Amino acid sequence: CNRDLLSPIPQDSVADVSAFSTVSRIQTQLLSLYGGTGGLKDGNVYGGRYVIYGDIRGEDFINETSNLVTGSDVWALNPTNSATAVSTLWNSAYLAINKCNIFLDGMAAGGTAVVGADLGNQYIAEAKLIRGLLYYSLLQYYARPYPDGNGNKPGLPLRLTGIKGAGQSNLARSTVAEVYAQVLKDLNEAEAGLPSTYTAAADRVTRAHKNTAIALKTRVYLSMQNYAAVVTEANKIVSAAAPFTSASGVAHALQPDITTVFTTYTTSESIFSMPMTTTSGDFPGTQNQLGYYYSPTSANGGVGNGEYSLNPNGIVSNPSWTATDKRRSFLKQSGTTTVKNWLNKYKTISPYTDYVPVIRYSEVLLNLAEAKVRSGNTVDAQSVALLNAVRNRSDAATTYTAANFATPTDLINAILLERRIEFMGEGLRNNDLMRLLQTIPAKGTAQAKTPSDNGYIWPIAAQELALNRLMTDN
Amino acid sequence: GRVTSSDDGSPLPGVTIQVKGGNRGTNTDAQGNYRISAPSNAQLVFSFIGYTTQEVAVNNRSTLNVALAGDSQQLNEIVVIGYGTQTKRDATGSIGSVKGSAIANMPIQSFEAGLAGRTAGVQITVPNGVLNNPPVFRIRGTNSISLSSQPLIVVDGVPTFTGDYSSTSAPANPLASINPNDIESMDVAKDAAATAIYGSRAANGVVFITTKRGKAGALKVNYDGWVGFSNAYRLPEMLNAQEYISFKSQAVANNPTASAIKYTQTNDANGKPIDTRWYDQVYRQGVSHNHNINLSGGSEKTNYYFSLGYSNQEGILKKNDFQRINTLFNVDSKLSKLFTIGGKISYSNEQNLAATSSGSLYGEAFNTGGLGRLAVVLPPILAPYNNDGSYNTNGPAIGSANNISGISTLSYYNPVVSLENNRSNSESNHIQSNAYLQFKPLDWITLRSSYGIDYLFVNNDIFWSPKGGDGFSYNGYGSAINGNYKTWVWTNTAQFDKTFAGSHNLSLLVGQEQQRRTSRAFGINRQGLSDAAYTQIQAGWVTNNPTGMSYGENYLLSGFGRLNYNFKERYFLSANIRQDEYSALGQKKGTFWGASAGWEITQEGFWKAARLDNVFSSFKIRGSYGKVGNIGGIGDYTPYSTYASGLYGGASTLYFSNAGNPNLTWETSTKTDVGFNFGLFNDRITGEVAYYKNDINNLILYVAQAPSAGLPTNPPQNIGTMYNKGLEFSVNARVINGRNFQWNSNFNITFNKNEVTSLAPGLNVLQTTIGGSTGLETVNQTAPGYSLGQLFVVRTNGVDPATGKRIFVNSAGQNVYYQYYAPTGQFNYSTTPDGTTRYVSPTGGTSITQAADGVMYANVLPKQYGGWDNTFKYKNFDLSVLMTYQLGFYVYYGTNAGLHDQRWWNNHRDVLTDAWAKEGDTGKKYAKPVYGDNVSNGSSMPLDINVFRGDFLRLRSVSLGYTLPASLTSKARISNLRVYVSGQNLGLVTKYPGPDPEVSSNGANSNNSTSSQGVDRNTIGNARTITVGLRAGF
Repeated sequence: CNRDLLSPIPQDSVADVSAFSTVSRIQTQLLSLYGGTGGLKDGNVYGGRYVIYGDIRGEDFINETSNLVTGSDVWALNPTNSATAVSTLWNSAYLAINKCNIFLDGMAAGGTAVVGADLGNQYIAEAKLIRGLLYYSLLQYYARPYPDGNGNKPGLPLRLTGIKGAGQSNLARSTVAEVYAQVLKDLNEAEAGLPSTYTAAADRVTRAHKNTAIALKTRVYLSMQNYAAVVTEANKIVSAAAPFTSASGVAHALQPDITTVFTTYTTSESIFSMPMTTTSGDFPGTQNQLGYYYSPTSANGGVGNGEYSLNPNGIVSNPSWTATDKRRSFLKQSGTTTVKNWLNKYKTISPYTDYVPVIRYSEVLLNLAEAKVRSGNTVDAQSVALLNAVRNRSDAATTYTAANFATPTDLINAILLERRIEFMGEGLRNNDLMRLLQTIPAKGTAQAKTPSDNGYIWPIAAQELALNRLMTDN
Repeated sequence: GRVTSSDDGSPLPGVTIQVKGGNRGTNTDAQGNYRISAPSNAQLVFSFIGYTTQEVAVNNRSTLNVALAGDSQQLNEIVVIGYGTQTKRDATGSIGSVKGSAIANMPIQSFEAGLAGRTAGVQITVPNGVLNNPPVFRIRGTNSISLSSQPLIVVDGVPTFTGDYSSTSAPANPLASINPNDIESMDVAKDAAATAIYGSRAANGVVFITTKRGKAGALKVNYDGWVGFSNAYRLPEMLNAQEYISFKSQAVANNPTASAIKYTQTNDANGKPIDTRWYDQVYRQGVSHNHNINLSGGSEKTNYYFSLGYSNQEGILKKNDFQRINTLFNVDSKLSKLFTIGGKISYSNEQNLAATSSGSLYGEAFNTGGLGRLAVVLPPILAPYNNDGSYNTNGPAIGSANNISGISTLSYYNPVVSLENNRSNSESNHIQSNAYLQFKPLDWITLRSSYGIDYLFVNNDIFWSPKGGDGFSYNGYGSAINGNYKTWVWTNTAQFDKTFAGSHNLSLLVGQEQQRRTSRAFGINRQGLSDAAYTQIQAGWVTNNPTGMSYGENYLLSGFGRLNYNFKERYFLSANIRQDEYSALGQKKGTFWGASAGWEITQEGFWKAARLDNVFSSFKIRGSYGKVGNIGGIGDYTPYSTYASGLYGGASTLYFSNAGNPNLTWETSTKTDVGFNFGLFNDRITGEVAYYKNDINNLILYVAQAPSAGLPTNPPQNIGTMYNKGLEFSVNARVINGRNFQWNSNFNITFNKNEVTSLAPGLNVLQTTIGGSTGLETVNQTAPGYSLGQLFVVRTNGVDPATGKRIFVNSAGQNVYYQYYAPTGQFNYSTTPDGTTRYVSPTGGTSITQAADGVMYANVLPKQYGGWDNTFKYKNFDLSVLMTYQLGFYVYYGTNAGLHDQRWWNNHRDVLTDAWAKEGDTGKKYAKPVYGDNVSNGSSMPLDINVFRGDFLRLRSVSLGYTLPASLTSKARISNLRVYVSGQNLGLVTKYPGPDPEVSSNGANSNNSTSSQGVDRNTIGNARTITVGLRAGF
């Protein structure tokens, strides 16, 4: 007899006990926090659906297929506790959070010693950035916006240590403010530990560096309406005057032509994107792909399934979005009697390998522009310049001057409008509505939702309520 | 002298009488008389086939009359008990035995399909009419929830594979590699005493298959062959084209939002109105033939058995075939007085062929291309071909041609495209072999070492044409997966048999065993044909991805022992113990045991004094108790938490992928068994009564954790409890035992009660989706206090006579009226028939849902089951009739929901009479037809109207044979020749409205399907088969 055979070593997976035993395993584990099944890039999170929900909750899209699996309830603002969207985003994001926690635990328990302190600190910083981004992202759907009571409303169960077995289901919700505090703690610590840049150009877009943490912080502070902090953070990576670039770290700048950003995925404008390839497991997966949702069917000249067309009463019809604006080249029209507009920003064919943008430099510019106006309550000159930077490169015909804006509010509204045009299909619309506690406008057959309406935010996933005894519903 | 039968005193002709130790012999004549000259002190030996041989001393008598007793008495039969044999008389465990001849020539693929009804405690459910799918095999109830409930199958001492090893729509049951014709006996061990020698694998019972071996004597050659014809039966009667148009148009008229929809009948290419009977496109008469030839014989020292088999069976679904070529060679040789050596080698090649999904296997129930479903769902006004001869398709789906307008796509496939162009085949090559060496240093010591292998190689081959159906969206799809599954077992035993002081019979076995299993599988999945003519995986394709990758290994290291003791064949004691260490457990080592005792009362003086021995030839009270385990179906690395590899933008990643449990251990089964065996009137009637209780603890459940805990999988825990208890009764009688006419009857019944007593803390119910069809339909719900997999459905209260609305019953017992189309001012669900009062549930919902309003409605596990087997012999004719039955259970006839769905789907003809049509129609089964209505009749959620009692009595097998007189056949040098005609599934007595209550949409898939019995969802029923065959011995 051969007693060794009683303790087989898995040959197509790595056993728990040796997951942190080599440099290579730690490196590949770190990358798994970004990508693949159950990472940030999961098709249910930043690989597709998280971004999609952010847009279809807003007013610029019309649901075409009435398919619950592709978010018709998300669009109609009435998903139930057991809705696919509600449960899969929750599950997938927490799966990724737990992986971050397990990784951080493992690094503390000896992983850092294996890779050395320098790499160890960098990896820990990357994991923290991902965890912070995930918690921030969950807050946008499952919790009241921060301005509603300055974060005193129920937030999320804040899990910060890795879980590998049964018996740790119960954990109460922390407040929104507590979760935001953790998000900022993670991002601040990430900023400190992350490298300024990477040797490989691809890594500068697909892995976190100092500027990634800073850029994300502008987004987070904006959601908290902490405009002064937005300005502070943005100033670290935005030069004082046009052309706006980042002086430190990766040299972020706008591309002259916005369409380049969606064909050459690793330009300096993309601060952080989710990379895709055609190998199975490395693309978003069935019914998670941006292209599948927004691009019309092949009969209508697209590559997708035409799940959502553009609301004819939405931003498409806004006269300030001029016909010559390059961003209109992302639109595709179909039909003669019934004309429909579709978003064709994501054009690769199945299995849909367009990189999914997480944050772009133009967002940082507009975050800064808005924060400066709001914090100073003036028609800020730099804000106008920042707005112009984004507008002009696509729409040479339009140049704003301070004189265009009678009040700071006018400028803010112009910036918000610019965001709808610039980031259409990039998932920011929901977050913009939430952070300002605005009513979600009606569209098609879907009714408007005021901040006090049921459905303004999502319910909590039914399974979480059933299995976490301390969990409460929204 | 004269020889008679001890049963009825009738004379026995042809009895052989021999002088013991001499050459002289004779036979009785037609009146049973004989004459022989023998020394006055000689012993005469009377032997006759079917009767117990008797030796009688002459003792100077000149007339010697003898009454021979029939030997169909079971009590002297040898039964296999694991690492040895025992006579049934000495066995104190609960063992059921079936002779191989009982199933040898049935038109089945694997032996267990023929076991139904033949022995108490054994329940066989053949899940559908697709060839070579594994039957659901249960011994004394379903004994696990997450692990396998199939018994351990030991073939000639080597445990073999069970389940479905195919990755295609053609299932591959590895047990089909054992040719039923090669089986000598099947012994079913049921209680702890009988199974404990298999320790951690014994909880579901153990089945010992013994293949035939040669007997000393001249070479014997046997040929068996049959031809069979199989047909589908009891198919639902569907609307024809005329009826379809008028009925479905009425439904359209009842829904103003569907006014664009028009149904039209057009003419086919021959100018005849299209009226497609889709059954004819999908089903066929299957023609099968089967041939076996075996050679056996031997000398005093060496015996051998060699067989060849060929089977070519056609199923009732087109293109569903099973082909097997197999060979078996068994040999035993006494090398010397001390040494015996022997072994076997068997090889089988099986082709399991199918064109496409039948919709009947695990996971297939809701396939849009499932053939069983397409046959009923497709409208008769559509044709498979357009008038120009091309396929009628629209993308992947069937086209609506000019016959249905107003509906953009019909979503279901044209089955003819898949049947003519696709394939989904699996081929198995199975080698089962062993060799042993036995050493007998003293006549009471036997040392034995045996080494066996069981190698299963499976090749899967899937091709989906781009012309339509599954392959359309891929522009052609191919997949090939190769799987190798290997077992080796090395067993060493020492057996000591000794009788002390003439009355203490002692038998001791000690042994040691190792079993090693490895599995490797890999495959490629290719999409996008480079050339339309390509059909092979090796051809040119656009996209390539890996598929079907798996790697596994496990190891079982065991020591075991058994002590059997009896005192004067009167008091029996037996103890079994086994220690197993299994690699796939966290806590690897366990000890299992079983003990039993028996008391043969007829040997007692007081029994004889009471003259009870005149009636009872034997009466043995026995009981057993023990603790065994279940590890069947545990994944090889289940206890480990593991990290798997993935990709991030082309770079390798390693991620936490499986949450294990280092404390994971076997499920425990504590078995109690009390009963008695009896023989009456010199064993003319024998029987057995047993009460059993099986308490199952530490059931492994994959307990869901809060999603925010972020675990990638639900970690397994040993946590649930369940029991099965029941009563088994079987009786075997030689009712008539005359010279010309004999009737042997065997009846058995098992009463079983199953109850789940606890799940995990915080886990109130376990729901099982139909065939793993995530989210599509869940009808089985397991909860403490109920039997496993109770049907969980929404109640209804008929159809409102005034409005034709379906009346649902909500959780509070109130009637809720439903209309699919709600005119302005009305609601879909209302508390009043007029639809104007909106229904609001206690929790604020405005519709009836299964989650809120479903109830634990009915049990799916039968409360009684068994069989009644009769064999009649009249002169050279023989007739056997086997009936099987299952009682006291319900089946969810999910197909029925589809048969009454008010989308464009075709409907059962009963809608013409049973659907509400006008005001005042009372007692209608189905609601007013409204186009699009998938709620009223059960498509959108399971309803009580589709739950039916499944009780059935089946005429499973009837066989009528005629043996040609030896005087005739001997001239052709044929020693015996029997011709027969037989029928399978000739009759079915049931109130179940579907084709077959004995189906299971979930098959016998070992994981997660034990709790999802009793579902008939788009499944094809079993075939009715008539065979004609002959058996010739040379």
